[in-house]
Amino acid sequence: MISGRGILAVAGFQWRRLLAPQRLLLAAAGAAFPAAVVLAARRISGSLDRDAAVLLLYALIPEAICMLGLLVTMCPVVADELERGTWQHVVVRPGGRWSLLAGTFLAAVSWTALVGLFSLLLSLAAAGLPASGRLGWIFAALILLSCCGRAALFALPAVIMPKRALVASVVAAIVVEYLAGFLPAVVNQLTVSLRLRSLLVEWMGWRRQLPPELQLLVDDQSAGIQVLAVFSLAITLLTAAGLILSWRQFPPSEEV
Amino acid sequence: MISLHHATKLYGTVIGVNDLTVDLGPGVHGLLGPNGAGKTTLLGLVTGQLRPTMGRVEIFGERPFGNRRVLARIGYCPAGDLLERRATPREWVSYLLRLSGRDAAAARRAAAAAIERVGLSEAIDRPLATLSKGMRQRAKLAGSIAHEPDLLVLDEPFIGLDPMARHELVAMVREWASSRSLLVASHLLHEIEALDAGLAVILGGRLVASGDVEEIHALVDSLPAEIHLEADEPGRLAAAACRGGLVDSLRFDGATGLRIGTRQPRALASHLATAAAEERITLRVLHAGDRSLEAVFDRLVQLHRGIGPAVAKAAAMEARP
Repeated sequence: MISGRGILAVAGFQWRRLLAPQRLLLAAAGAAFPAAVVLAARRISGSLDRDAAVLLLYALIPEAICMLGLLVTMCPVVADELERGTWQHVVVRPGGRWSLLAGTFLAAVSWTALVGLFSLLLSLAAAGLPASGRLGWIFAALILLSCCGRAALFALPAVIMPKRALVASVVAAIVVEYLAGFLPAVVNQLTVSLRLRSLLVEWMGWRRQLPPELQLLVDDQSAGIQVLAVFSLAITLLTAAGLILSWRQFPPSEEV
Repeated sequence: MISLHHATKLYGTVIGVNDLTVDLGPGVHGLLGPNGAGKTTLLGLVTGQLRPTMGRVEIFGERPFGNRRVLARIGYCPAGDLLERRATPREWVSYLLRLSGRDAAAARRAAAAAIERVGLSEAIDRPLATLSKGMRQRAKLAGSIAHEPDLLVLDEPFIGLDPMARHELVAMVREWASSRSLLVASHLLHEIEALDAGLAVILGGRLVASGDVEEIHALVDSLPAEIHLEADEPGRLAAAACRGGLVDSLRFDGATGLRIGTRQPRALASHLATAAAEERITLRVLHAGDRSLEAVFDRLVQLHRGIGPAVAKAAAMEARP
C-alpha cells in the first residue's frame, strides 16, 4: 500500500517547494518571534526567572510556532495539489495518494521541527539559558512530539475538506487541543496538548510543586507512556486520513 | 483493454457519465465531444481517479480505482496546465517516476530519456514557469510516458498549442502509439483524425456513436443532410429532384434558392447535376453540405439535443455498440 520511495519522493519535492524565498522569510520571521517576546518580557520585568522563561518558551514554541508551521505546511496537502494541477498526476501513480499524505507529513514535521529548533536556539539565547543542557533536549523532544501529533491532527481536515483546510484545522486546534485538552475529563486523553504538558511537568521535575487544581490538567503516567500515546495518536489520525484520502474523488471542475 | 459496462458517474445530481457501455481493444482510440460532454470524467474513470456510481469499469481486466497493478500500466496526461513553477522538467519527471517506485538514479536516467523523446532536452533544467505552454505540454507528456505504460491516456493534449507545436506533438504521439495503446480525448475532430484513431463520440455523458473514421463517414451519409442550391428555375429543379425519390424535405429559399433535406446527399447531388443538365436549368450553386467529421459532430449534437427528424436519431443510435 505504501511505497518508501514514493514517500521520500514526495517529502523531497515538498521540501523543494518549502525552500522558496518567501517561505524561508516567513519561517525566519516565525522563528525569531519567540526570541523577541522573551527579550521584551525580560526588558519589561527586569529579570525573567528560569521557570517563567521555560513556561513562556513552551507556550511560544511547541504550542504556537509548531502549530502555525504545521498549518502552513500540512493543511494544503491536497489543496495545493489541486491548485497546482498536480493532483491528477500524483493520484494515477500506484500508491500515489498514500505517498502524498505520508511524504507531506514527513516534510511538514521535519520542516516545522527545524524551524522550531532554530527558534529554540534563538529564544534560549535571548532568555540567557544554555542551549546545550538538559533544557535544550527537553524542548527538542517536545517540539518533535508536537509536530508529529499536530501534523497528523491537521491531516484529517486537510483531506476531508481540502478547500477549507486552514479554517477547519484552526477550529480543530482550538476545539481539540485547547478546549478538550484542558478539560479535566477522559476526552483530554486524546489530545496532544495533555501529553506535552505532562511531559514538560515530568521532565522539569515540577510534579510535586504543582497545586492540586493544576494537577488535574496533567496526566500522572510515565514519560514513556506519554510519548507512546503521542505516536499512537499520530499513527491513528494519519491512518484515518490516509483511508479517507484513498477514497476521495475530486470531480473535474471543467465538466461539472 | 478498456471495458465499461453500464458505467454511470454522478456528481450529486449532475451526470458526468451516463449508462455508458463500451469495449475498446488495444490500439489508438479517440474520444470526441464538446466541452462538458463527460470526456474528462470518462478518463477519470479509466485512469482510476474516479469510481463509477453505478456499473463497472475494467482496465486490463481489473477495476482501476486504487489498483496498483492497473495504475502501473497507465500513463495519464491531464488537460490542465502544470502550475508547478519552480521545478524543472527533469525534477518533475523524476519525481513522478520515483512516485511510480523507481529509485532516484533510475528515475533521473528514465526522465532524461523521456524528455529527450519529447524533444525538450534543451530545456531540461529550466524551471517550468519559464517554459512556453507547448514546452510545458511536452514536459507533461514526458511525465506520462517515462514509466513506459501500456496505455497512454491524453486529455486535450493539443489545446492552447500553436500549429507548429501541435504538428510536432501529433507526430510524437503517433510515433509513440505505433507500438502501444492510446486513448485521446479532444473536442477537435481533426486532431483525432490526424492520429488515425478509432472514434467514440460522447455527448451528455452518453456514447452516441463509435467506429473508425470510415464508419463515421458512413454515419454522415446516413444522417439527414441539407443541400443548398441556387438556380434560375428552382421550381422545375425541385420537381426534377423529387423524381429521384431521394428527397426527405424541400424548402424554397428566396427567388432562386432551394434547400433540400436528404439522407443520401451524394446520390442526390449527382442526380441534381444530371437533372439540371437534362432539363437545361442553369445551376449556379450546389452546396452539398459539410461532410467532414465536424459536420457529423454538429449533427450528432443537434440530434442529442432533440433537433432533427426521429429517423435520423434512430440512425445515430444504431451506431451505439
